[in-house]
Amino acid sequence: MKHKLSFAGAAMAIGSLVLAGQVHAETVPPVTDPLGVLVLPKGAPLEIGGYWVLSGSDAALGVDQKRGVELAIEDWKKTLVGHPIVLDAQDSQCSAEGGQIAATKLASNPNTVVVIGPSCSSEATPAAPILWKAGIVDIGTSSTAPSLTAADRNAGFHGFARTVFSDADQGKGDGNYIFNVLKAKKVVTIHDGSPYASQLVAEFVKTYAALGGTVLSQEAIQPTDVDMHPLLTRIAAEKPDVIYMPIFVAAAGQIARQAKTTTGLETTQLIGGGSLMTGDIITAAGDAVVGMKITYPDISPEALGKGYPDFVEKYKSAYGEAPVSGYHAMAYDAAAIAFKAIEQVAKTDDEGTTYIGRQALRDAIFATDTDGISGRIKCDADGECAQFKLGVFEYVNADPTTFKIGDNPKKIYP
Amino acid sequence: MRKDFAWFVRRGLLLCAILIVCAGIIGTVRADRYSTEQWFDLVAFGLTLGGVYALIALGYSMVYGVLRLINFAHGDTMTVGVFIAYFVARGLEHTKLFETSPAVAVAIILIVGAVVSALVALLVERFAYRPVRASGGFAPLITSIGMSFLLQQTCRGMFGSGVKAYPDPGWLQGSMRIGTFSVPNVEVMVLCAAALVMAGLYLVVNGTRMGTAMRATAEDPRAAVLMGIDINKVIAFTFLLGGLTAGVGGVLYALIYKQVYFMMGFLPGIKAFGAAVLGGIGSIPGAMAGGIILGLAEGIGPTLILDGLGIPAPYQLRDLFAFALLITVLICRPQGLFGEAPARRA
Repeated sequence: MKHKLSFAGAAMAIGSLVLAGQVHAETVPPVTDPLGVLVLPKGAPLEIGGYWVLSGSDAALGVDQKRGVELAIEDWKKTLVGHPIVLDAQDSQCSAEGGQIAATKLASNPNTVVVIGPSCSSEATPAAPILWKAGIVDIGTSSTAPSLTAADRNAGFHGFARTVFSDADQGKGDGNYIFNVLKAKKVVTIHDGSPYASQLVAEFVKTYAALGGTVLSQEAIQPTDVDMHPLLTRIAAEKPDVIYMPIFVAAAGQIARQAKTTTGLETTQLIGGGSLMTGDIITAAGDAVVGMKITYPDISPEALGKGYPDFVEKYKSAYGEAPVSGYHAMAYDAAAIAFKAIEQVAKTDDEGTTYIGRQALRDAIFATDTDGISGRIKCDADGECAQFKLGVFEYVNADPTTFKIGDNPKKIYP
Repeated sequence: MRKDFAWFVRRGLLLCAILIVCAGIIGTVRADRYSTEQWFDLVAFGLTLGGVYALIALGYSMVYGVLRLINFAHGDTMTVGVFIAYFVARGLEHTKLFETSPAVAVAIILIVGAVVSALVALLVERFAYRPVRASGGFAPLITSIGMSFLLQQTCRGMFGSGVKAYPDPGWLQGSMRIGTFSVPNVEVMVLCAAALVMAGLYLVVNGTRMGTAMRATAEDPRAAVLMGIDINKVIAFTFLLGGLTAGVGGVLYALIYKQVYFMMGFLPGIKAFGAAVLGGIGSIPGAMAGGIILGLAEGIGPTLILDGLGIPAPYQLRDLFAFALLITVLICRPQGLFGEAPARRA
């Protein structure tokens, strides 16, 4: 019995050393890296992690981004530095708990090279520090909360970059549009407590109030709320010109429907954010979706990268439908900059074994300056790689099958 | 009567609650922000929601009355019925029945939802609760929690995790004029349907032999057995009635909010349970009144009271408000509004 225990203990110790050696060794010839070196034997798969919302009412948001990454893998012919690319996509359900579970799973795999995603800032907030603790860079694809790339962010976020704009920029753009273009002088805001919505609302309020607009009240709901009548009745009493609600599909659909039957709000303008750039909002809001505006990056050919139209064609032929949401290009670019950085830092010896320094990979990604299909991708020291150009879209048809970015919702600004 | 410390605490809390409520109401009335039409809207919607809570609460209350079991799977049996009714409703859309005979179409989906929920409730009782009924302790309670998860995840596996949009027939989209006020048709329909079902249930429980057997079992199960009542049949009948009312409540809930998803039974289930406790769990009139009071508290409470206290964004506190009301009632009257106080033993 004693011998068995000794053997088990020794085996565990050796296993721990081997595992630790793979992740944290500083020098594995020919590469030295302060964060550790990832070693891929010849023919071993190069594993890319991914986590998005892949189920539930916001699934289109995540599925669209996963497809963007899959198309990038296709463009690299499913091979990178001599290794087959494998995408390990997790469903993080647009929640903090989902993000934490997905990140823990991806971080526990010593062969995860880089992680793409997530869709929601609430997923990124717990996940990015977990991944970075394991030396893994995370590139966000539609997580736009300003805190994720703020200059004073916690050290746990130093491995987080993103190819999507910051809400700090969108908030400014939205404030300017609603005050100067729509000439709306009184607004009510609604957020759902998520980092995305609350931080975007905060940035919007800052800009809008500075311009001279009146924010009548800042309301909050739960993403799962269905009963909006008391809230809307209260808002109606304030007589706003605009209700600014960068929230998610289920709650936004309820607000749109119930506003139409709330005395005083029948014609009040509803403006949502990019989370509503999906056909699901048409289903959720029904006829009430017609006239709803959403602010979103400008996706006209002159604002996006040159390769975008070709990319959309590839998307259609691969999945048999037009893009189902609006962040596929950002996801493609996230994968593309990760792949280029890996090509740049990976070293392969004569036996075909590949070595990737984790700090070197982080530095290469953060030094990206290239043209992507979503526009210029130039990362700063805090991981912000995208530039925001405001576009405003309006839903014009209540038939979910007519969803097509640019047609329904129709681009109305600029 | 000896006034102990707890008596003073209860009276003190009640006095504080009354003072806060009065201050809120006075503040709101003085601010005069809302028109009469808006108050009417809030009350009408509160009553509608309360009607639905009452229908769901009836199942909790009846099962507790007969079995002393809190059936946490009750909201999820409702979900199954609502899902099946959704597919039937989608099918009916192709037949144009919603346009030609909307009342018949709505009646069909209500009946389907009720029947399926009742069948699921019967199955749950027969295969999950009956085997552990005699074991006592926490086994039935834990079984009910387990059944809740099982039904939720079965719905998720079978129907997906996305939100499905319930049909929105044109008939339900309009409004009805009552004097100078306007009430959405869907609210009128929900209130009428809820009132009809509750009246029907009241008649069944108070005017039939099986209803009498139910009440006898709730009063004293052992004596009921000695009087020749088949207690298994009574319990199954109770689950059947609870499933029927929950199914109707669930479909009405889905018709108000136009959506169904696998977790939809959870929140209304919890609130309906709160309503049953508020009214006095085990009491059928109590469940009805508790549901209506909770619906009204959610509907008008934040606006009427919290707004007047100057609390910003009071809507987000509506659940807190509703459950604070529940706690206040229970502190002052632990058996609920219509419940009977436990008999003192000599």
